[in-house]
Amino acid sequence: MKLKKLLVAGLAGVMMLATMTGCGGNSSDEIHVVSREDGSGTRGAFTELLGIAVDDVDNTVSTAEITQSTSVMMTTIAGNESAIGYVSLGSLNDEVKAVQVDGVAPSVDTVKDGSYKVSRPFIIAHKDGLSDVAQDYINYILSAEGQAIIGEEGYITIDDAAPSYTASGMSGRVTLAGSTSVAPVMEKLADAYMALNPDVTVEIQQSGSSAGIESAIQGACDIAMSSRELKEEETAEGLDPIVMAMDGIAVIVNKNNDVENLTSEQIMKIYTGEITSWSEVE
Amino acid sequence: MKRQKENIMKYVFLICACMSILFVALICIFLFANGLPAMAEIGFADFLLGKNWKPLQNQFGIFPMIIGSIYVTAGAIIVGVPIGILTAIFMSRFCPKKLYKIIKPAVGLLAGIPSIVYGFFALVVMVPIAQDLFGGSGKGILTASVLLGLMILPTIIEVSESALNAVPESYYEGSLALGATHERSVFKAMLPAAKSGMLAGIILGIGRAIGETMAVVMIAGNSAIMPESITSGVRTLTSNIVLEMAYASGLHEEALIATACVLFVFILLINLCFSMLKKKEA
Repeated sequence: MKLKKLLVAGLAGVMMLATMTGCGGNSSDEIHVVSREDGSGTRGAFTELLGIAVDDVDNTVSTAEITQSTSVMMTTIAGNESAIGYVSLGSLNDEVKAVQVDGVAPSVDTVKDGSYKVSRPFIIAHKDGLSDVAQDYINYILSAEGQAIIGEEGYITIDDAAPSYTASGMSGRVTLAGSTSVAPVMEKLADAYMALNPDVTVEIQQSGSSAGIESAIQGACDIAMSSRELKEEETAEGLDPIVMAMDGIAVIVNKNNDVENLTSEQIMKIYTGEITSWSEVE
Repeated sequence: MKRQKENIMKYVFLICACMSILFVALICIFLFANGLPAMAEIGFADFLLGKNWKPLQNQFGIFPMIIGSIYVTAGAIIVGVPIGILTAIFMSRFCPKKLYKIIKPAVGLLAGIPSIVYGFFALVVMVPIAQDLFGGSGKGILTASVLLGLMILPTIIEVSESALNAVPESYYEGSLALGATHERSVFKAMLPAAKSGMLAGIILGIGRAIGETMAVVMIAGNSAIMPESITSGVRTLTSNIVLEMAYASGLHEEALIATACVLFVFILLINLCFSMLKKKEA
């Protein structure tokens, strides 16, 4: 007897759940906003450049989906026709479609000549009293050879007339820590540098911009990698920032999305929740 | 000589036993020493009951996350407990020997799959299905609940099955002798006798669900909002920490540790329930 009652109650529960989810469904015209987590260098640059953040107040719509990884961002956009998101230009591949911003497609050239607006610096920072070998590694990054590698990886070089680098023959160890966005290109640079200077070990820890800056301040690593500008409280600790490259941020949508071009104002309105359907931007 | 050896070994074992206690104590001290001052700085009520999580604007309200954790865990119970308990009953009393040889290791394997693999599976398989069925992004309470329900199955099944197997055979035989059918004997005589053991299994499952991180962060949407419907995005306490830890600094970082404190209290309560049940059983 009791068992039957239990079964009926269970069934009722399932049916209630089903009706509730039925109401939750929405049309695919609705824009599904995907963003990065608070504090991420990519999000900081994106929101600031497009006017989503005004006076340090980030107005990203609170219903936006949040992810902390580039690969989840790509998979989400690739699998959802109504989604919009953003990734670093270097991580862009053909699983998704990058839209033009104000009529300019994101590419190395458009970021370099300044016509594509959504870009940010990659920064390496260190304290005074850097070891000779670490200084030599920085020289390599900023040399013609180092900048060539940065260009090959899809990032934007800062100096086309950089002096060429000659191997120093030094030995020792250089440790870098910080941004997960900078780390992939840094690993390529480290491999090439170690091939030239076999006695040097370059160690790269991916811990996020803030954590990397923190460990450079504390002396736990030689050089910090950051995908955002340093804060005042960080430069006050004696960190010296150097721009090593520029990175574009591509605004991405699903491949089946017809939208080719968005103005920066439209993107701002989408991310602040003023525009909620794709038909409004076509 | 022999005596001495015996004594030495005794202390070796004692030290090993103390290690685990030491680590628990150290974690406790670390969490509360770092978390409580942050909570005090933010204000206990603002922190625990605040509905806005905007760390860059110094708004640290984790109420949406607390609710999110509870919703997702409750969903996992709704999905996982009936399936788990019925599976345990089947395995213990109805299963043919040949089938048992397949099911038992399969359940064990389910427990051994790393959570990141569950998360990835859900991201590429379950999320598109949910998108088709309910519209929207496919990420949210529902998907996370179903996945967590799957993940807690092995815990519930294993504990419940051993609880059922521990019921004296005479209960079953007595019930049969009174004229009850096999089904009736299992559900009316065996099940009530194994109740507290099964409850213990469910509580262990709840502990796993509330603490799960990597899988949930990939499919929950992670919007720090009060969920409006069962398909809306949700952020749990665990995903809040893992999302923002890499880039957090200053009070933001301390607020995340304070979030961990709250989670820790939840787990403590769950464990307390578990040990109280165990005591009752003994």
